[in-house]
Amino acid sequence: MRTKSLSFKIIIRILFFTILLGAAIFSTYYYYTRSEIERSTRENAVFLADNTIKMIEEIIKPAEMIPNNLSWMLETGAIPKDSIMPFLAKLVKNNPIIYASAIAFEPGMFAPNVAAYAPYAYRNGEKIETINLWSPDYNYFIMDWYQIPAMLKESYWTEPYYDEGGADALLSTYSVPFYLNKGGERVLGGIITIDISLEWLTEIVRSVKIFETGYAFLISRTGVYVTHPDPNNIMNQTIFTRAKELEEPELRDIGRNMIHGVSDLTSIDLKTLGYVWIYHTQMPTTKWSLGVVYPHNEMFAGLHKLNFTIILLSFIGLGLLLFFTIRIINRQISPLAKFAASARGIASGDFNTELPHIENSEEMKELHDSFAFMQKELADYIVHLKETTSAKEKIESELRIAKEIQMGMIPHIFPPFPDMPEIDLYATLLSAKEVGGDLYDFFLLDDNRMCFAIGDVSGKGIPASLFMAVTRTLLRSVADKEKSTAEIVSSINKTLSFNNESNMFVTFFLGILDIQKGELKYCNAGHNPPILIKNKKDVSYFNITKAIPVGLFESYEYTEESIRIALDDQIFLYTDGLTEAEDVNNALFGDDLLLQVISQHAAASPREIIEATTQAVANHVKGHTQSDDLTMMSISYYGTTRA
Amino acid sequence: MKISTKSIAQGTLVAIDGRIDTTNYNEFEQAVNQLFEEKVTAIYLDCSKLNYISSSGLRVFLTIQKKMMGTGGKFLLFAMQPTIKEIFDISGFSTIFNIYDTEEAALQN
Repeated sequence: MRTKSLSFKIIIRILFFTILLGAAIFSTYYYYTRSEIERSTRENAVFLADNTIKMIEEIIKPAEMIPNNLSWMLETGAIPKDSIMPFLAKLVKNNPIIYASAIAFEPGMFAPNVAAYAPYAYRNGEKIETINLWSPDYNYFIMDWYQIPAMLKESYWTEPYYDEGGADALLSTYSVPFYLNKGGERVLGGIITIDISLEWLTEIVRSVKIFETGYAFLISRTGVYVTHPDPNNIMNQTIFTRAKELEEPELRDIGRNMIHGVSDLTSIDLKTLGYVWIYHTQMPTTKWSLGVVYPHNEMFAGLHKLNFTIILLSFIGLGLLLFFTIRIINRQISPLAKFAASARGIASGDFNTELPHIENSEEMKELHDSFAFMQKELADYIVHLKETTSAKEKIESELRIAKEIQMGMIPHIFPPFPDMPEIDLYATLLSAKEVGGDLYDFFLLDDNRMCFAIGDVSGKGIPASLFMAVTRTLLRSVADKEKSTAEIVSSINKTLSFNNESNMFVTFFLGILDIQKGELKYCNAGHNPPILIKNKKDVSYFNITKAIPVGLFESYEYTEESIRIALDDQIFLYTDGLTEAEDVNNALFGDDLLLQVISQHAAASPREIIEATTQAVANHVKGHTQSDDLTMMSISYYGTTRA
Repeated sequence: MKISTKSIAQGTLVAIDGRIDTTNYNEFEQAVNQLFEEKVTAIYLDCSKLNYISSSGLRVFLTIQKKMMGTGGKFLLFAMQPTIKEIFDISGFSTIFNIYDTEEAALQN
């Protein structure tokens, strides 16, 4: 998968945290507002219901006063019995709220011989008519409006009823019992009623508007709808029949609470209106119950509308934030892509690659400066590297040539004297560096005498190699058959010592072997003593007089020594690069081990001995870097008898 | 290799701890040149802790010796380990240098 760009990552993070923050703020705001709306709606519902009831009561209470006062007037005899009918007519006429009024007497209470009498005044258009309610068809004693207050001995509002043929309106009758004095006893005289039209009540309740579809309704003591937004329900349905019809058992519970006079706020999920709140409370006078219905959706409609606006604005804001963030980030990091291109340019060797121009960002300026610095340093470094590399290559090639020249100065064709069977000779020289300070040489002085030498210049490398070359050249120019070894060495020493400011010196062993006689004359100038192998088995170091290396003191006198060499004897010469070859622990190869190795190969030819010794040294140092030049030369003497 | 120098009544006492070979002989040479700049007239070289000396190191010894001979100064070596002494013997340097077995013997001369 491709790694996402930096700007993408930044934008995603900004977006994520902004949305997270926004969501947190929005949720807090939403739930706080919601609970605030719920609280105020609750208060509002209670207030609205109470206020509506208060409005109704303000009309009903004065109406109730009329029969109450009438009852008192009848009991005290303030109204003469013969003027009751006109009184009622007057009463109805003067109180527009009252549709009709009756005073129904108990048997014998109007007059001892009157079994039933109920003067009744009612409206008939503009006129007030008066009749006696009682007739054989209308036995008012069994009517609710008479029976219930008479038995309860208290005032009573009847269930609402529709007065067909008469008022043609929804009415309710308020009945009040009255008492009369009969034989000193206060006994029930009858029932006073007023019939009140409920049209105004319906109007009041209907005028209650709650949001869009919310409403108020009134039910009677038996649950009959007195008012309802749907006129079909009025007087035709009870809250219970409607609950059954709509299959809303919870509505039935609410109805039960309402007819028991409970004031409560409940919520219910109605099929018709959805989720609603209903607050209900009872009217103190009629004991009817008023309910107010708050559709939940509409309660929060304002909030939802606001939410929609907020979310819309948030998205616009996010869009703008995104747009500007992308713009700013791209503008800020766009130099990075150019830097990357520049870096590729630089990496491919173009040190003059142009860097992006930075104006507005400190960080980018710093990066630019670092880049510019790197560019300059790299360019300088490469120039320097080219110079040193070419210089080094030059030196190396010169060293290679120097090595060839140096190696050309020492003989390395073996066997060196194929037409001289008396002598076999083999030699090797391994420099620690390209050029070294070791040397060996051999040549014939005349038909009978061979001159050979081995030497080791102090130090290594170029200075030593120069000194070696001088020494070897001197040897060839100085040596002749007239001089002794000591004279040759002294002569070399004298020349080398002259103006030798650097104090370099050469340990030097020079020998001249008389092939006929087997006599070896030699001079040792501070060199390691050679090994003499006698009879192909006895090995021992030469006994040598101590003398200082050549090149130090020009007047130093060297001395010559001589020994006799027998048939099959061999002389092994070496430089200290052999005995002082070190392993990783700086342990030296040593004189004793050398003697031991030579002893093991005492019968071998010069080449075999040198190869065996080379192997032994390699085994000793075990790959440790060769620290000094290593030179070996071995001369086998077969004498004249082999010829 | 560690080089320590100490001024004493007779001159300067120099002690070498370790090896003098081709990789570090120039350090030794610089230390010696420092002494010459200070116009030291007598150098007593403690060789008791000198483990190895290459021909490059011997060359520095020779330089000191020649310089001292030229200026009439003294260069004395003492307490050499047998292997070092052997190198001096083989190369004949024992005949050039003033070598003593102990510090006391060197300081008395």
